[in-house]
Amino acid sequence: MTMNPTSTALELRHLTFRYPNGRIALDDVSFCIAAGERVAVVGPSGAGKSTLLMHLNGLLPAPSVVFDEDARVFVQSLGVTKSRLREIRRQIGFLFQDPDDQLFCPTVREDVAFGPLNLGLTQAEVLNRVDRSLIAVGLPEHGPRNPAQLSTGERKRVCLAGVLACEPKMLVLDEPTSNLDPRARRHLLQILKEFSGTQIIATHDLDFAYDLCQRVLVLDAGKVQADGPAGQLMSNADLMDRHGLEVPWRLIQRPMTS
Amino acid sequence: MPPSSTIQNSFCHRIPSNWKLGLTLTVIVLASLIPLEHWPAIGILMVIVSIALCFANVTVGYLIRRLALFLPMLLVFGLSLPLSQLDNSAAWAWTVALWLRCTVSFLAGLWMIHVLPFPELLATLLRWRCPTLLVAMLSFMYRYIFILWDELARLRHARDARDFGGGSLAMRWMGNAQLIGLLLLRAMERAERTHHAMLARGWDGSVKFLGDDPRPAQ
Repeated sequence: MTMNPTSTALELRHLTFRYPNGRIALDDVSFCIAAGERVAVVGPSGAGKSTLLMHLNGLLPAPSVVFDEDARVFVQSLGVTKSRLREIRRQIGFLFQDPDDQLFCPTVREDVAFGPLNLGLTQAEVLNRVDRSLIAVGLPEHGPRNPAQLSTGERKRVCLAGVLACEPKMLVLDEPTSNLDPRARRHLLQILKEFSGTQIIATHDLDFAYDLCQRVLVLDAGKVQADGPAGQLMSNADLMDRHGLEVPWRLIQRPMTS
Repeated sequence: MPPSSTIQNSFCHRIPSNWKLGLTLTVIVLASLIPLEHWPAIGILMVIVSIALCFANVTVGYLIRRLALFLPMLLVFGLSLPLSQLDNSAAWAWTVALWLRCTVSFLAGLWMIHVLPFPELLATLLRWRCPTLLVAMLSFMYRYIFILWDELARLRHARDARDFGGGSLAMRWMGNAQLIGLLLLRAMERAERTHHAMLARGWDGSVKFLGDDPRPAQ
């Protein structure tokens, strides 16, 4: 893994966001993530996790920020502003919760090629990236298939291939293990462990978060309630309970097996 | 979609996709242009298309199911003119011509969708310099028709699990209308999420296609 903890991959400065109905989704959220770090964002449903992720590559709010001094989100020290959206999105690969939202092409091959084509690459380079990405997610033969014919786990992996084909420096994953069976979940965990860049994962799957991430942010009611090492925070039963979470099964099991 | 019971590697399946699309369009254009007084020519077209359907291993059951959806609509539409102009004898000729032409064109279309997979059809349209926006719309339609169908099935299951088969016909129709409304709302929400997914992968509003893979097949 190419980790350089001294450089900041992502920074949020006092990010606040209200939905059109006036409800506060994010309330003065600030944190930094170092390059190469894997960070889990955990919290109860409606805590603002997905909304937070959507801000990281300028999907929310409507891209209206023009000047750096107005920016609240910084990727590789660049403010997420209207003029930089293309550059920012080139660096961040976003995996959506529902694979059917992300798979919009009639074949797997075309879907994985969608991002590289938008990067303006040549057809030969696009095809190479498609092949490499499908091999990386363990689906090298699935290129000509219709996404509708795949299982949820396979669809999720195709989505990840589409993201990896853009060769991002950072992965942002929204509930990557939702609707996955244990085997597909294990496979996904392995793929993500092999990715060397920064990862931010919003999830309810606390065992998955514990297995993958060194650091955890507990988000509740739009605020960062706790930020620290995964083992330390996730073993704190009071903290977990207070925010509608549970101590991961793995941490409960450990004392019993030792 | 073609039924899984038919053999997918017939002589017709092996015809190049340009030819398949070209032949289908030719049959449709010919069926539309042949004057009614030369009706045997339309009959010959019908025979040719029927033979092509046999060669493509299209089963009779598949044909009947598709025709059962199409023919009632055609029948009603075709009868509208002669029934509104009872004294006009030419109206019946017009109706017969419409029935024949539409049936031949429909059968030709069935043959094409049976032997030409949709992604190949899109690739062929691109090779024929069809506007990319139109091809993109067809591509999205093909992808999301499956998803919306699944969504509809889930909604129906949820409804059926709770309505216990009761209620009058009017209530059931009202339920169906609500179902369709809900499906529309869900489709709009999904469209927004899909738009976000496209933006996240660098979409700038222009439609780009991968095109044919120039590498030799392995």
